[in-house]
Amino acid sequence: MIPAPQSDSARLITPTMLVLGLVLATVPLWIARVGLYPYLGIEILIWSLYALAFNLVLGTAGLPSFGHGAYFGIGAYAFGLCQFNVVANLWACLAAAFAVAGLAGALVALFISHRRGIYYAFMTIAFGQIFWTVAIKSHKVTGGEDGLLKIARLPADFGFASFDLAGNVAFYYFVLIVFGIAVIALWRLVHSPYGRVIAAIKQSETRAAHLGYNVWLYKASIFVLSAAVSGFAGGLFAMAQLAAFPDVMSLHQSGYVVMMTLVGGGLVSFWGPVIGVFLFLIARDVIGAMTNAWMLYFGLLFIAVVLFRPEGVAGAIMAAWQNRSLNSMRQQGGTALRLLFGGGRWR
Amino acid sequence: MFDLLPHILNGLTLGLLFALIALGFMLIVGLMEQINLAHGSLFALGAYFAMQLMGPRPPFPADLAQSWLALPLGWRYAATLILAPAAVGLVGIAIEFCMRRTYGKDPLYGLLLTFGAAMVIEEMIRLTWGTRDYVLQVPQAVNGGFIFGDLIWSTYRFYAAGIAAAVIGLVWLLIEKTSFGATVKAGAHDSEIVRALGINLTRLRLLVFVFGTMLAAIAGIIVAPIWGIRPHMGVDAVIPAFLVIVLGGVGSFWGAVVAGLLVGLAVGLSGAYASEWSLLSMYVLLVAVVTFRARGLWGKKSVLEA
Amino acid sequence: MKQREISRRSVLQGSLMASALAGTASYFGPWKENRVWAQGAAKPIKLGLTCDASGQYGNSGQDDLRGIQMAIDEANAKGGVLGRKITWITADTETTPATGSRLAERFITREDCTILIGAVHSGVANAITQVAAKNGVIYLNTNSSAPSEAGENCSRIKFVWDGNGTNFSKASVANAVNSIGKNWMLLTNDYVWGHTTSAATKAQVEGAGGKIVDNLLVPQNTRDFTAYLLKIQQAKPDVVATAVGGDDIKALREQVAQLKLDGKPAWINNQQDWPDVWGSPDSLFGVFGTTWYHKLALPGVADFVKKWQATNKEGSIPVPGNVSYNGYMATRELLRAIERAGSTNNVKIIKELENLKVSATDRMQHFDAYMDPVTHQMQQTIYLARRNPKPADKTDLYEIISWTEPKAVADTDAQAKCKLVPYEQVPTVDS
Repeated sequence: MIPAPQSDSARLITPTMLVLGLVLATVPLWIARVGLYPYLGIEILIWSLYALAFNLVLGTAGLPSFGHGAYFGIGAYAFGLCQFNVVANLWACLAAAFAVAGLAGALVALFISHRRGIYYAFMTIAFGQIFWTVAIKSHKVTGGEDGLLKIARLPADFGFASFDLAGNVAFYYFVLIVFGIAVIALWRLVHSPYGRVIAAIKQSETRAAHLGYNVWLYKASIFVLSAAVSGFAGGLFAMAQLAAFPDVMSLHQSGYVVMMTLVGGGLVSFWGPVIGVFLFLIARDVIGAMTNAWMLYFGLLFIAVVLFRPEGVAGAIMAAWQNRSLNSMRQQGGTALRLLFGGGRWR
Repeated sequence: MFDLLPHILNGLTLGLLFALIALGFMLIVGLMEQINLAHGSLFALGAYFAMQLMGPRPPFPADLAQSWLALPLGWRYAATLILAPAAVGLVGIAIEFCMRRTYGKDPLYGLLLTFGAAMVIEEMIRLTWGTRDYVLQVPQAVNGGFIFGDLIWSTYRFYAAGIAAAVIGLVWLLIEKTSFGATVKAGAHDSEIVRALGINLTRLRLLVFVFGTMLAAIAGIIVAPIWGIRPHMGVDAVIPAFLVIVLGGVGSFWGAVVAGLLVGLAVGLSGAYASEWSLLSMYVLLVAVVTFRARGLWGKKSVLEA
Repeated sequence: MKQREISRRSVLQGSLMASALAGTASYFGPWKENRVWAQGAAKPIKLGLTCDASGQYGNSGQDDLRGIQMAIDEANAKGGVLGRKITWITADTETTPATGSRLAERFITREDCTILIGAVHSGVANAITQVAAKNGVIYLNTNSSAPSEAGENCSRIKFVWDGNGTNFSKASVANAVNSIGKNWMLLTNDYVWGHTTSAATKAQVEGAGGKIVDNLLVPQNTRDFTAYLLKIQQAKPDVVATAVGGDDIKALREQVAQLKLDGKPAWINNQQDWPDVWGSPDSLFGVFGTTWYHKLALPGVADFVKKWQATNKEGSIPVPGNVSYNGYMATRELLRAIERAGSTNNVKIIKELENLKVSATDRMQHFDAYMDPVTHQMQQTIYLARRNPKPADKTDLYEIISWTEPKAVADTDAQAKCKLVPYEQVPTVDS
């Protein structure tokens, strides 16, 4: 297996993060030249954050949650409603998105955390459907299928200076900074003692329970955390779209985040979900511009991944790398690989 | 009270349909411990194939098509009930061949594979038949309505519920009362024993999977005249099917049937008295049951909860 | 809604820094925020067509697209507009608002489209409107019939071309209360369009002296209507007015047809879109509204149908219906407005469209139509139809039973709800 240096999982910022951050920082300079556009960059970053949050539950804890779109959507509504009814402050409303989605997650966690496997999976679907229906029904609050419109990209006010985020480039940089901070926080989280207990529960709930851990509490807390960060991403998405709609909460859209996470390799790598989101959203944009049947091709690709590379793209890259240059890498200190994965195997 | 009775009756017929929709899904879950998310797409495919067979342009060579069209509607319908599921069974074989690679791994992979297959089948349907709607013709004898207790009832609905009950009964007999059923059940619980008995496990799994897909197709044909035929109908079917299985409990035949009836009653009664909640009622029912019962109504221990 | 209070000074500081950032970006790359489009001599005018190809309205979206393309082809055959060719790009908006937002961003910032056309679902239409408004890009909502589109969700850059739920209720209800009966039951899809449409129906029924005996809410994605049909039989109303849309109305139609419940009570279905009707012609029932029919006995209709068929031989729908018609009319009037304005400046085109008047002959409808400058909704003839007992051919499904002039069915409440921003606040766009 990949010799992930112990130091990486102890680091606050890994080389991968640095390189990824630097590359992403230059995106607005060249994205139009490669035939894409800045808004796509914004959407990719937000979905990456959402997928990373989702992978806390699926990859880190091994809990099949198939209704996660609900929390993403709730975050978007919370952001908009905070802006309209409480205070039009970016920080307050992002905090609201985080908190309200976390609360919704906590409510659901109460019902599901003592369940496993297929029963857990379907309970998350059921709650996802309930939240989605309530969002469509409560049109006095949410605008129903018309959406909660006219959400503003609030300025980032630091007291001494305030940044206008209305433009796509400014907003891209804001999302990038937030994304960077969130990635560091999530990286620390999965490598903390808490994260290791979660990973132990993924291996065997029974064993973890025998070791004296309160399995229920760990399962519930990671779900709440995941829901809260998903909601935070949803708040950013409301700003990107200038509106919030119920559709992201549907089962269909919840399925997308599962697909992205798995195709990327979320089960074996911290960065898997990010790889998946990049692939999915760029493929959708490029293939979608050429054919209306892009889902057919993506479906076929997905089948191929499940059949031949069930560890996803991240797993495939790691395996390829491992065969070729395990030794040479060791001699070189594994820098190139670390740049790619930052000791991506955290398990 | 007399106002309530028709709604209970309606809920029960609806429940039988839900149980029929879930039947193929249940067999594959119960006997193979695999979740077939392509169930809905196969359900849709059954309806589309049937529509093609019953329509003005059957997929046969010209002379055969002539004599096919000359048959009375009832005969064609009866033949379609066999031919369309058989064709869907072929698709089932293809999926099972892919699925073999995931046996013995985390059941999540089977679920994902069939999710991908569902996407592909739905897109294929869209490319072949377009996004428009179709209607499945049915024989005059089961069409129309009849009057009972001052109300007009759909003949087809009772016919469909009757078929559902019959299919459920036959499947139960097949599993519980035949040697085939005994082998299948043994294979599901202990593949070692089946191998020791010299039974070809690969073929056994293929048989079970194909049987499950054909049941999906039959459900599609039976439900199509009520729901209509459109590409999205697969998604409309797979969610309730999955829900019924989880509610009834994995591995429990009668659990699924009872769950189907309960869901039907919940949807039917809430449709009449709290109509805006009728679709949510099945989810609320599930949450209420699974919150208190770890494995649904009568679920057995299974790798699907690992 | 609270006013946002942002200190002016801090915004200035921030925007200085942001523009410094953006400035560097434009120095290095070709892309920059609020791009000023270069004024080329014979540069084509590029339209972004935001039409659903999948999802609930995939079928209607593609029919919309056929009408839009026809208008573009006609303009190009005449040498284009202002001597410039019209080009277009389309992609599937998937009946999903998030996809609508992204494609609108793509079409505007990446493909340099200066006008967007196409919508069926009001959520998708609103998502596109948000992006278009931010960039000052004109957007034609061709087929979303939610009353809110020309009410609280109206926009200076958006023009709505379909009749809405209120228009159809006004055309059908009062007459039916008098001729059929006073006891009405409502069947309402439980989302915004359903609720606003049923509210309009209720007001009309009560205004005409009728009474609503019950309002059954139908959740989205309902496939089995037996419980509702039983309930309706138990309540025995004179008329059932439905505001049920999408796949739900198709399932309802099939079930009503099967039971032959389409005679008594009488059914009033708000609006039926031709692509939905053509899919299952046998289950057409009740009285319903439309804005156009391909067998209207008016000059020009037959020619239009022939031209449409010539370019759409392969399609699954053999004749143009109201959806394709709306797409065609919206696009044609837009291109004419550009010609009249003599400019592709967005505000000049908007002003032309706001003063739009189209003669009945030109619209192929019974009455003259006009754009309401306050709500940006096209005010047009509303037709009521029912199933044709004596069809001339297999596409002849409707019997048109009445046509009402625009003034009589105007949505008078919308004007108070719609607030358009002043022209100065619309970012300038030119192509």
